[in-house]
Amino acid sequence: MGQAILTAVVVDDEAALTLEELARACAVEPEWVVQHVRTGILLDDAPEHSGGWRFTSADLVRARRLCQIERTFEANDDVAALVVDLSEEIRRLRGKLNAAGVK
Amino acid sequence: MEYKDYYQTLGVAKTASEEEIKKAYRKLVRKYHPDVSKEADAQKKTQEINEAYGVLGDAEKRAAYDELGRGQQYRAGQEFRPPPDWGRGFGGNGGFGGDDAMGSDFFADLFANLGGGRRRQQAPRRGEDSHASITIDLADSYHGATRGISLMVAERDAQDRIVTRERTLSVNIPKGVTAGQQLRLSGQGQPGAAGPGDLYLEIQFRPDARYRVDGRDVYETVPVTPWEMALGGEIEVGTPSGKVTVTVPAGSQSGRKLRLRGRGIPGKEAGDLYLLLEVVLPPAHTDKQRELYQTMAREMAFNPRAGG
Repeated sequence: MGQAILTAVVVDDEAALTLEELARACAVEPEWVVQHVRTGILLDDAPEHSGGWRFTSADLVRARRLCQIERTFEANDDVAALVVDLSEEIRRLRGKLNAAGVK
Repeated sequence: MEYKDYYQTLGVAKTASEEEIKKAYRKLVRKYHPDVSKEADAQKKTQEINEAYGVLGDAEKRAAYDELGRGQQYRAGQEFRPPPDWGRGFGGNGGFGGDDAMGSDFFADLFANLGGGRRRQQAPRRGEDSHASITIDLADSYHGATRGISLMVAERDAQDRIVTRERTLSVNIPKGVTAGQQLRLSGQGQPGAAGPGDLYLEIQFRPDARYRVDGRDVYETVPVTPWEMALGGEIEVGTPSGKVTVTVPAGSQSGRKLRLRGRGIPGKEAGDLYLLLEVVLPPAHTDKQRELYQTMAREMAFNPRAGG
Protein backbone atom coordinates (compact mmCIF):
# COMPACT_ATOMS: atom_id res chain seq x y z
CA MET A 1 0.00 0.00 0.00
CA GLY A 2 2.98 2.26 0.56
CA GLN A 3 1.06 3.90 3.35
CA ALA A 4 2.91 5.54 6.22
CA ILE A 5 2.52 3.74 9.50
CA LEU A 6 1.16 6.09 12.11
CA THR A 7 2.65 6.05 15.55
CA ALA A 8 0.10 5.49 18.27
CA VAL A 9 0.87 6.07 21.91
CA VAL A 10 -1.01 4.42 24.74
CA VAL A 11 -2.81 7.02 26.87
CA ASP A 12 -1.22 5.98 30.16
CA ASP A 13 1.90 6.67 32.22
CA GLU A 14 4.05 9.32 30.50
CA ALA A 15 1.46 9.79 27.76
CA ALA A 16 -1.46 10.31 30.16
CA LEU A 17 -3.58 13.32 29.21
CA THR A 18 -3.41 16.81 30.67
CA LEU A 19 -6.53 18.63 31.81
CA GLU A 20 -6.81 20.48 28.48
CA GLU A 21 -6.24 17.33 26.44
CA LEU A 22 -8.93 15.44 28.33
CA ALA A 23 -11.36 18.33 27.88
CA ARG A 24 -10.69 18.39 24.14
CA ALA A 25 -11.04 14.63 23.84
CA CYS A 26 -14.45 14.83 25.53
CA ALA A 27 -15.50 18.01 23.68
CA VAL A 28 -16.14 19.83 26.96
CA GLU A 29 -14.76 22.97 28.55
CA PRO A 30 -11.80 22.49 30.92
CA GLU A 31 -14.08 23.77 33.73
CA TRP A 32 -16.19 20.64 33.33
CA VAL A 33 -13.14 18.50 34.05
CA VAL A 34 -12.05 20.68 36.99
CA GLN A 35 -15.50 20.45 38.53
CA HIS A 36 -15.58 16.66 38.19
CA VAL A 37 -12.15 16.29 39.75
CA ARG A 38 -13.04 18.64 42.63
CA THR A 39 -16.16 16.61 43.45
CA GLY A 40 -14.16 13.37 43.33
CA ILE A 41 -16.00 11.98 40.31
CA LEU A 42 -12.79 11.88 38.30
CA LEU A 43 -9.28 11.04 39.60
CA ASP A 44 -10.75 10.01 42.94
CA ASP A 45 -8.01 7.61 43.96
CA ALA A 46 -5.29 8.72 41.57
CA PRO A 47 -1.88 9.53 43.03
CA GLU A 48 -0.92 13.21 43.14
CA HIS A 49 1.16 14.12 40.09
CA SER A 50 3.82 16.79 40.45
CA GLY A 51 3.16 18.32 37.03
CA GLY A 52 -0.61 18.71 37.55
CA TRP A 53 -3.45 16.29 36.94
CA ARG A 54 -2.86 13.42 34.56
CA PHE A 55 -5.63 11.31 33.03
CA THR A 56 -5.21 7.68 31.96
CA SER A 57 -7.11 5.61 29.39
CA ALA A 58 -9.55 4.55 32.08
CA ASP A 59 -10.14 8.20 33.08
CA LEU A 60 -10.80 9.13 29.44
CA VAL A 61 -13.33 6.32 29.02
CA ARG A 62 -15.00 7.29 32.30
CA ALA A 63 -15.11 10.98 31.41
CA ARG A 64 -16.68 10.27 28.02
CA ARG A 65 -19.33 8.03 29.59
CA LEU A 66 -20.11 10.71 32.16
CA CYS A 67 -20.51 13.34 29.42
CA GLN A 68 -22.78 11.05 27.47
CA ILE A 69 -25.07 10.29 30.41
CA GLU A 70 -25.19 13.95 31.46
CA ARG A 71 -26.08 15.06 27.91
CA THR A 72 -28.53 12.31 27.04
CA PHE A 73 -30.53 12.47 30.24
CA GLU A 74 -29.70 16.01 31.30
CA ALA A 75 -28.54 14.25 34.44
CA ASN A 76 -26.75 16.03 37.23
CA ASP A 77 -23.15 14.97 37.72
CA ASP A 78 -23.76 12.84 40.82
CA VAL A 79 -26.47 10.78 39.16
CA ALA A 80 -24.32 10.39 36.05
CA ALA A 81 -21.41 9.30 38.27
CA LEU A 82 -23.60 6.70 39.97
CA VAL A 83 -24.70 5.32 36.59
CA VAL A 84 -21.12 5.17 35.36
CA ASP A 85 -19.93 3.54 38.62
CA LEU A 86 -22.58 0.84 38.23
CA SER A 87 -21.71 0.40 34.59
CA GLU A 88 -18.02 -0.01 35.42
CA GLU A 89 -18.90 -2.57 38.09
CA ILE A 90 -21.02 -4.54 35.61
CA ARG A 91 -18.16 -4.54 33.13
CA ARG A 92 -15.70 -5.64 35.81
CA LEU A 93 -17.93 -8.51 36.92
CA ARG A 94 -18.63 -9.55 33.33
CA GLY A 95 -14.88 -9.63 32.79
CA LYS A 96 -14.51 -11.97 35.78
CA LEU A 97 -17.32 -14.21 34.57
CA ASN A 98 -15.78 -14.35 31.13
CA ALA A 99 -12.35 -15.15 32.55
CA ALA A 100 -13.91 -17.95 34.59
CA GLY A 101 -15.45 -19.33 31.41
CA VAL A 102 -19.04 -18.56 32.43
CA LYS A 103 -21.12 -17.58 29.43
CA MET B 1 -29.22 5.62 -1.05
CA GLU B 2 -32.10 4.43 1.08
CA TYR B 3 -34.51 6.68 2.86
CA LYS B 4 -34.41 6.28 6.62
CA ASP B 5 -37.49 6.92 8.66
CA TYR B 6 -36.11 8.50 11.79
CA TYR B 7 -39.61 8.84 13.28
CA GLN B 8 -40.03 5.11 12.93
CA THR B 9 -36.62 4.50 14.52
CA LEU B 10 -37.68 6.44 17.59
CA GLY B 11 -41.24 5.11 17.45
CA VAL B 12 -42.88 8.53 17.44
CA ALA B 13 -45.44 10.24 15.21
CA LYS B 14 -44.34 12.83 12.67
CA THR B 15 -46.26 15.36 14.73
CA ALA B 16 -44.46 14.48 17.95
CA SER B 17 -43.41 17.37 20.16
CA GLU B 18 -39.80 18.00 21.15
CA GLU B 19 -40.60 16.62 24.57
CA GLU B 20 -42.11 13.42 23.16
CA ILE B 21 -39.10 12.86 20.93
CA LYS B 22 -36.70 13.37 23.81
CA LYS B 23 -38.70 10.99 25.98
CA ALA B 24 -38.79 8.29 23.32
CA TYR B 25 -35.08 8.72 22.68
CA ARG B 26 -34.12 8.38 26.34
CA LYS B 27 -36.31 5.31 26.75
CA LEU B 28 -34.63 3.63 23.80
CA VAL B 29 -31.13 4.62 24.97
CA ARG B 30 -31.88 2.86 28.24
CA LYS B 31 -33.42 -0.16 26.52
CA TYR B 32 -30.42 -0.70 24.24
CA HIS B 33 -27.67 0.40 26.59
CA PRO B 34 -24.88 -2.17 26.06
CA ASP B 35 -24.46 -2.71 29.81
CA VAL B 36 -28.03 -3.77 30.38
CA SER B 37 -29.47 -4.83 27.05
CA LYS B 38 -29.97 -8.48 26.27
CA GLU B 39 -30.69 -7.68 22.63
CA ALA B 40 -28.16 -9.11 20.21
CA ASP B 41 -28.04 -5.98 18.06
CA ALA B 42 -27.89 -3.47 20.93
CA GLN B 43 -24.84 -1.69 19.55
CA LYS B 44 -26.32 -1.23 16.09
CA LYS B 45 -29.63 -0.12 17.54
CA THR B 46 -27.90 2.43 19.75
CA GLN B 47 -26.17 3.84 16.69
CA GLU B 48 -29.45 4.11 14.79
CA ILE B 49 -31.20 5.71 17.74
CA ASN B 50 -28.41 8.27 18.13
CA GLU B 51 -28.48 9.04 14.44
CA ALA B 52 -32.24 9.53 14.47
CA TYR B 53 -32.10 11.74 17.54
CA GLY B 54 -29.18 13.67 16.09
CA VAL B 55 -31.66 14.84 13.45
CA LEU B 56 -35.04 14.91 15.17
CA GLY B 57 -33.64 16.33 18.40
CA ASP B 58 -32.31 19.38 16.55
CA ALA B 59 -35.08 21.75 15.42
CA GLU B 60 -33.15 22.93 12.39
CA LYS B 61 -32.17 19.49 11.16
CA ARG B 62 -35.63 18.15 11.86
CA ALA B 63 -37.16 20.90 9.73
CA ALA B 64 -34.76 20.05 6.91
CA TYR B 65 -35.57 16.36 7.23
CA ASP B 66 -39.31 17.04 7.26
CA GLU B 67 -39.03 19.19 4.16
CA LEU B 68 -37.40 16.27 2.45
CA GLY B 69 -40.28 13.95 3.21
CA ARG B 70 -42.96 16.47 2.22
CA GLY B 71 -44.67 16.05 -1.14
CA GLN B 72 -43.42 12.56 -1.64
CA GLN B 73 -44.15 9.89 0.85
CA TYR B 74 -40.90 8.08 1.34
CA ARG B 75 -40.92 4.84 3.19
CA ALA B 76 -37.99 3.44 5.11
CA GLY B 77 -35.65 1.53 2.82
CA GLN B 78 -37.04 3.15 -0.30
CA GLU B 79 -34.60 4.49 -2.87
CA PHE B 80 -34.40 8.22 -2.48
CA ARG B 81 -32.70 11.20 -4.11
CA PRO B 82 -32.81 14.63 -2.53
CA PRO B 83 -33.89 17.50 -4.78
CA PRO B 84 -30.96 19.54 -6.11
CA ASP B 85 -31.79 22.65 -4.13
CA TRP B 86 -32.64 20.74 -1.03
CA GLY B 87 -31.33 22.20 2.20
CA ARG B 88 -30.91 25.73 0.90
CA GLY B 89 -31.50 28.32 3.56
CA PHE B 90 -30.59 26.12 6.43
CA GLY B 91 -27.48 26.70 8.43
CA GLY B 92 -25.79 23.57 9.58
CA ASN B 93 -23.82 23.56 12.75
CA GLY B 94 -20.75 22.47 10.91
CA GLY B 95 -20.42 18.97 12.18
CA PHE B 96 -22.08 15.74 13.04
CA GLY B 97 -23.72 15.34 16.38
CA GLY B 98 -22.33 12.00 17.41
CA ASP B 99 -18.65 11.44 17.94
CA ASP B 100 -18.02 7.79 17.22
CA ALA B 101 -20.89 7.26 14.89
CA MET B 102 -20.43 9.38 11.84
CA GLY B 103 -23.90 8.22 10.90
CA SER B 104 -25.09 6.25 7.92
CA ASP B 105 -24.55 7.22 4.28
CA PHE B 106 -28.09 8.50 4.32
CA PHE B 107 -27.28 10.81 7.20
CA ALA B 108 -24.08 12.02 5.55
CA ASP B 109 -25.75 12.70 2.20
CA LEU B 110 -28.67 14.34 3.90
CA PHE B 111 -26.48 16.87 5.62
CA ALA B 112 -23.92 17.22 2.86
CA ASN B 113 -26.18 19.99 1.64
CA LEU B 114 -26.42 21.74 4.96
CA GLY B 115 -23.34 23.84 5.06
CA GLY B 116 -23.93 27.01 3.14
CA GLY B 117 -25.27 29.24 5.85
CA ARG B 118 -22.83 28.23 8.48
CA ARG B 119 -19.99 30.68 8.07
CA ARG B 120 -19.69 32.74 11.14
CA GLN B 121 -16.58 34.78 11.68
CA GLN B 122 -14.72 33.38 14.59
CA ALA B 123 -11.16 32.63 15.58
CA PRO B 124 -9.69 29.67 13.71
CA ARG B 125 -10.31 26.56 15.74
CA ARG B 126 -8.51 23.32 16.11
CA GLY B 127 -10.38 20.35 14.65
CA GLU B 128 -12.26 18.11 17.04
CA ASP B 129 -10.79 14.93 18.43
CA SER B 130 -12.31 11.75 17.01
CA HIS B 131 -12.96 8.42 18.68
CA ALA B 132 -13.18 4.93 17.25
CA SER B 133 -12.23 1.41 18.26
CA ILE B 134 -9.78 -1.05 16.77
CA THR B 135 -10.08 -4.82 17.09
CA ILE B 136 -6.84 -6.77 17.36
CA ASP B 137 -5.77 -10.31 18.15
CA LEU B 138 -4.39 -11.15 21.55
CA ALA B 139 -1.13 -12.11 19.84
CA ASP B 140 -0.83 -8.51 18.55
CA SER B 141 -0.60 -7.34 22.13
CA TYR B 142 2.02 -9.97 22.99
CA HIS B 143 4.28 -9.03 20.12
CA GLY B 144 3.21 -5.60 18.88
CA ALA B 145 1.85 -5.25 15.34
CA THR B 146 0.83 -2.96 12.53
CA ARG B 147 -2.86 -3.00 11.75
CA GLY B 148 -5.07 -1.21 9.24
CA ILE B 149 -8.27 0.55 10.17
CA SER B 150 -10.97 2.12 7.99
CA LEU B 151 -12.84 5.15 9.22
CA MET B 152 -15.67 7.16 7.74
CA VAL B 153 -14.62 10.78 7.98
CA ALA B 154 -16.62 13.91 7.33
CA GLU B 155 -14.89 16.88 5.81
CA ARG B 156 -15.62 20.01 3.79
CA ASP B 157 -15.01 20.11 0.08
CA ALA B 158 -14.02 23.17 -1.98
CA GLN B 159 -17.68 24.30 -2.04
CA ASP B 160 -17.78 24.10 1.76
CA ARG B 161 -20.13 21.14 1.71
CA ILE B 162 -19.72 18.31 4.14
CA VAL B 163 -18.73 15.14 2.34
CA THR B 164 -17.83 11.77 3.77
CA ARG B 165 -15.15 9.46 2.54
CA GLU B 166 -13.48 6.33 3.77
CA ARG B 167 -10.03 6.77 5.15
CA THR B 168 -7.65 3.90 5.76
CA LEU B 169 -4.89 4.19 8.31
CA SER B 170 -2.00 1.94 9.18
CA VAL B 171 -1.37 2.03 12.89
CA ASN B 172 1.36 0.54 15.00
CA ILE B 173 -0.06 -1.40 17.94
CA PRO B 174 2.38 -1.09 20.83
CA LYS B 175 3.30 -4.30 22.60
CA GLY B 176 1.42 -4.84 25.85
CA VAL B 177 -1.85 -3.02 25.12
CA THR B 178 -4.95 -4.26 26.92
CA ALA B 179 -8.66 -4.10 26.13
CA GLY B 180 -10.14 -0.69 26.85
CA GLN B 181 -6.85 1.14 26.58
CA GLN B 182 -6.82 4.19 24.36
CA LEU B 183 -4.33 4.78 21.60
CA ARG B 184 -3.76 8.38 20.67
CA LEU B 185 -2.84 9.36 17.14
CA SER B 186 -1.73 12.92 17.10
CA GLY B 187 -3.19 15.09 14.34
CA GLN B 188 -5.40 12.31 12.91
CA GLY B 189 -8.71 13.72 14.17
CA GLN B 190 -10.97 16.13 12.36
CA PRO B 191 -9.43 18.92 10.32
CA GLY B 192 -9.66 22.50 11.53
CA ALA B 193 -8.35 25.92 10.58
CA ALA B 194 -5.93 25.88 13.50
CA GLY B 195 -4.80 22.31 12.89
CA PRO B 196 -6.37 18.88 13.10
CA GLY B 197 -7.59 17.23 16.26
CA ASP B 198 -6.34 13.89 17.55
CA LEU B 199 -7.74 10.43 16.95
CA TYR B 200 -8.32 8.08 19.86
CA LEU B 201 -8.67 4.36 19.24
CA GLU B 202 -10.02 2.04 21.91
CA ILE B 203 -8.40 -1.39 21.94
CA GLN B 204 -10.71 -4.40 21.69
CA PHE B 205 -9.63 -8.01 21.45
CA ARG B 206 -11.13 -10.25 18.79
CA PRO B 207 -12.87 -13.09 20.63
CA ASP B 208 -10.74 -16.23 20.60
CA ALA B 209 -12.20 -19.55 21.69
CA ARG B 210 -8.84 -20.54 23.19
CA TYR B 211 -8.22 -17.56 25.43
CA ARG B 212 -10.09 -15.33 27.85
CA VAL B 213 -8.60 -12.08 29.00
CA ASP B 214 -9.12 -10.14 32.22
CA GLY B 215 -6.95 -7.04 32.36
CA ARG B 216 -3.43 -8.34 31.81
CA ASP B 217 -4.22 -11.88 32.94
CA VAL B 218 -5.01 -14.52 30.34
CA TYR B 219 -7.00 -17.71 30.96
CA GLU B 220 -6.72 -20.82 28.86
CA THR B 221 -8.51 -24.13 29.25
CA VAL B 222 -6.18 -27.08 28.66
CA PRO B 223 -7.61 -30.53 27.88
CA VAL B 224 -5.75 -33.25 29.79
CA THR B 225 -6.04 -37.06 29.81
CA PRO B 226 -7.08 -38.90 32.99
CA TRP B 227 -3.64 -40.53 33.31
CA GLU B 228 -1.84 -37.19 32.91
CA MET B 229 -4.03 -35.85 35.70
CA ALA B 230 -3.62 -38.89 37.95
CA LEU B 231 0.03 -39.64 37.41
CA GLY B 232 1.28 -36.15 36.67
CA GLY B 233 3.87 -35.34 34.06
CA GLU B 234 4.99 -32.85 31.52
CA ILE B 235 2.62 -31.68 28.81
CA GLU B 236 3.14 -29.29 25.92
CA VAL B 237 0.66 -26.42 25.72
CA GLY B 238 0.18 -23.79 23.00
CA THR B 239 -0.02 -20.33 24.59
CA PRO B 240 -0.25 -16.82 23.13
CA SER B 241 3.52 -16.51 23.50
CA GLY B 242 4.25 -19.89 21.92
CA LYS B 243 4.47 -23.49 23.03
CA VAL B 244 5.47 -24.13 26.64
CA THR B 245 6.08 -27.30 28.61
CA VAL B 246 4.33 -27.41 31.95
CA THR B 247 4.26 -29.99 34.69
CA VAL B 248 0.89 -31.34 35.71
CA PRO B 249 1.08 -32.27 39.38
CA ALA B 250 0.11 -35.87 40.11
CA GLY B 251 -3.41 -36.22 41.48
CA SER B 252 -4.79 -33.11 39.72
CA GLN B 253 -8.53 -32.74 39.28
CA SER B 254 -10.52 -30.92 36.60
CA GLY B 255 -10.61 -27.22 37.35
CA ARG B 256 -7.09 -27.10 38.75
CA LYS B 257 -5.44 -23.82 37.88
CA LEU B 258 -1.77 -23.59 37.02
CA ARG B 259 -0.30 -20.12 37.05
CA LEU B 260 2.49 -19.19 34.68
CA ARG B 261 3.77 -15.99 36.18
CA GLY B 262 4.49 -13.18 33.74
CA ARG B 263 3.13 -15.05 30.73
CA GLY B 264 0.01 -12.93 30.48
CA ILE B 265 -0.03 -9.68 28.52
CA PRO B 266 3.46 -8.16 28.67
CA GLY B 267 4.11 -4.81 30.35
CA LYS B 268 5.89 -3.12 33.21
CA GLU B 269 3.86 -5.43 35.39
CA ALA B 270 3.20 -8.33 33.05
CA GLY B 271 0.04 -10.31 33.60
CA ASP B 272 -0.09 -14.02 34.40
CA LEU B 273 -1.29 -16.90 32.27
CA TYR B 274 -3.67 -19.29 34.00
CA LEU B 275 -4.04 -22.79 32.61
CA LEU B 276 -7.28 -24.44 33.66
CA LEU B 277 -6.90 -28.19 33.50
CA GLU B 278 -9.91 -30.02 32.17
CA VAL B 279 -9.95 -33.79 32.03
CA VAL B 280 -11.19 -35.31 28.80
CA LEU B 281 -12.18 -38.98 28.88
CA PRO B 282 -11.11 -41.19 26.02
CA PRO B 283 -14.07 -42.77 24.22
CA ALA B 284 -15.25 -46.29 24.98
CA HIS B 285 -16.14 -47.36 21.45
CA THR B 286 -14.15 -50.52 20.88
CA ASP B 287 -14.18 -53.72 22.94
CA LYS B 288 -10.62 -53.05 24.04
CA GLN B 289 -11.51 -49.55 25.24
CA ARG B 290 -14.54 -50.82 27.13
CA GLU B 291 -12.48 -53.57 28.67
CA LEU B 292 -9.98 -51.05 30.00
CA TYR B 293 -12.76 -49.05 31.65
CA GLN B 294 -14.22 -52.26 33.08
CA THR B 295 -10.83 -53.20 34.50
CA MET B 296 -10.58 -49.80 36.13
CA ALA B 297 -14.07 -50.12 37.55
CA ARG B 298 -13.20 -53.47 39.02
CA GLU B 299 -9.70 -52.79 40.22
CA MET B 300 -10.11 -49.29 41.54
CA ALA B 301 -13.39 -49.71 43.39
CA PHE B 302 -13.80 -45.94 43.32
CA ASN B 303 -17.04 -44.19 44.20
CA PRO B 304 -16.80 -40.40 43.94
CA ARG B 305 -20.22 -40.07 45.66
CA ALA B 306 -19.26 -42.13 48.70
CA GLY B 307 -19.88 -40.21 51.86
CA GLY B 308 -21.92 -37.62 49.94
